[in-house]
Amino acid sequence: MDKKTVSTIAYLSRLSLDEENGEKITKDLENIIKFVNQLEDANTQNIEPLASPLEKTAKTREDKVTAQNRKDIFLERSPKSNDDYFLVPRVVE
Amino acid sequence: MSIQYKTINELSQMLKSRDISNKELIQETFNLIDANLHLNAFITLNKDASLLKAEELDKNLSLQPLSGIPIAQKDLFCTKDLRTTCGSNMLSNFIPPYSATVIENLENAGCVSVGKTNMDEFAMGSSNETSFYGNVQNPWGDKLVPGGSSGGSAAAVAAGIVPAASGTDTGGSIRQPASLCGISGLKPTYGRISRWGMIAFASSLDQAGPMARTAEDCALLLNQMCSHDLKDTTSLDETIPDFTENLDKPIKGLKIGLVKEFDLSQLDKEVVKVFEESKKQYETLGAEFIEISLPNISLSVPTYYVVAPAECSSNLSRFDGVKFGKRCDDPKDLEELYIKTRSEGFGDEVKRRILIGSYVLSAGFYDAYYKKAQQVRRLIKNDFDDAFKKVDVIMSPTTRGAAFEEGSKGDDPIQMYLEDLFTIPANLAGLPALSIPNGMVDGKPIGLQLIGNFLEENKLLRAAHNFQLSTDWHKKTPKGDIQS
Repeated sequence: MDKKTVSTIAYLSRLSLDEENGEKITKDLENIIKFVNQLEDANTQNIEPLASPLEKTAKTREDKVTAQNRKDIFLERSPKSNDDYFLVPRVVE
Repeated sequence: MSIQYKTINELSQMLKSRDISNKELIQETFNLIDANLHLNAFITLNKDASLLKAEELDKNLSLQPLSGIPIAQKDLFCTKDLRTTCGSNMLSNFIPPYSATVIENLENAGCVSVGKTNMDEFAMGSSNETSFYGNVQNPWGDKLVPGGSSGGSAAAVAAGIVPAASGTDTGGSIRQPASLCGISGLKPTYGRISRWGMIAFASSLDQAGPMARTAEDCALLLNQMCSHDLKDTTSLDETIPDFTENLDKPIKGLKIGLVKEFDLSQLDKEVVKVFEESKKQYETLGAEFIEISLPNISLSVPTYYVVAPAECSSNLSRFDGVKFGKRCDDPKDLEELYIKTRSEGFGDEVKRRILIGSYVLSAGFYDAYYKKAQQVRRLIKNDFDDAFKKVDVIMSPTTRGAAFEEGSKGDDPIQMYLEDLFTIPANLAGLPALSIPNGMVDGKPIGLQLIGNFLEENKLLRAAHNFQLSTDWHKKTPKGDIQS
């Protein structure tokens, strides 16, 4: 784990780290990754990964519209919106 | 008549016999909240709506099972029209347009949600020190942490402000604070309680559950919290039993597993002594002990610290400053809007976990970390499957020690992660587990953990209730023992 890797994953995570914070976090991540490297010791040959304890397939339901249009309620909670849309800085010049 | 430290059943009786009105009960609850503001247990209070609901209940006699019972809700559950912050600056202005299913279930059963409790930011922490809203004080002593992440809920119950609180448990966030605050708390089987409206941290591990003074009260709450919910695809479509049934039934012949690989010699001597005494107590109750082996259990914490951050980095990508929550000031373009909002909105621990998650999921590392951890997760689950062929429940200390002082874990995150050594395995396997008070170390309470097989909350609660019928640890409060 070096500074470059950390800045790449920070960008992938859409986070910025200031200089001081960046060094501390790099060190922390290094230690955490060292810690989880213990997993290498486990023999997992032919073991299926377990993604969820239930291992059940999501159920299907009748194809009926149940959602209501609650546009106003949701737009109202947005940091910035007009009558129809969430607003963000201009993307295409 | 004081309501402090009363159980749900005691308060229900007081209401039924009209020793107190619903409004008086809620008013008195807010007096206790005011008297305990130094604990910082609540982020947002719900006073006006609570008093209004209490007045309604006084006017119209209700037969709901938890009618009029004040409850504190962890600030991770969406509550309609009531601010829900998840302990984060990111959601400091968020007012949900709907309530979580479990909140609706409790409120439909008559509970009055008096406020939202403080917690580690996005439930990531074991001491409540990562909350944007400040630390929570453990009622058992100055500068002691209440545990986390459901620290505010645990402190509110331990201080006798409310008889009940909701919590969530991803790696021990109900059981560890229950242990450190001297109360009872249960993490049900994964899928028992709907996750709809719970702000997600690690979706394959998160589970809501009750926190209360006794196992019996946990059972009463669990009866109302569980439901099969079509809005959560992982919600179990299984019969929901009456969890209070047969609680009194003796546990003679109960087979209790002791995990060979849990090395208790590394724990404080006093902690081991408390544990040994609980074993004797269970022997007196007719239980028998069987040594079991969970060969991969030592890999639980490293497995968790791959799986949980991976799911967290994915879940927390929804906080982008566009649709709800905080947005940074004057972003120059869309990318800066995302980056600045997230960098300002999240605290250090949350950032750390997002970064680990992004790392273990990134191309080139996915197989070595994420897939590997999921494989080890299956080995751990298989170990439990084998163990439960031999025993009914598995017993261990809940925590490595009693409540520690604020700041005492230094700034090494791994020391804090090891706090959940005993609790994490049940989350990885999706199993129900609870913590009940079982002794004191240096004047501070400590808890006993029981892990059960899939869907066997009843067995756990019966074992815990029998223990509480024959011991007084759950009657200890920071202000002395409750006389009954």
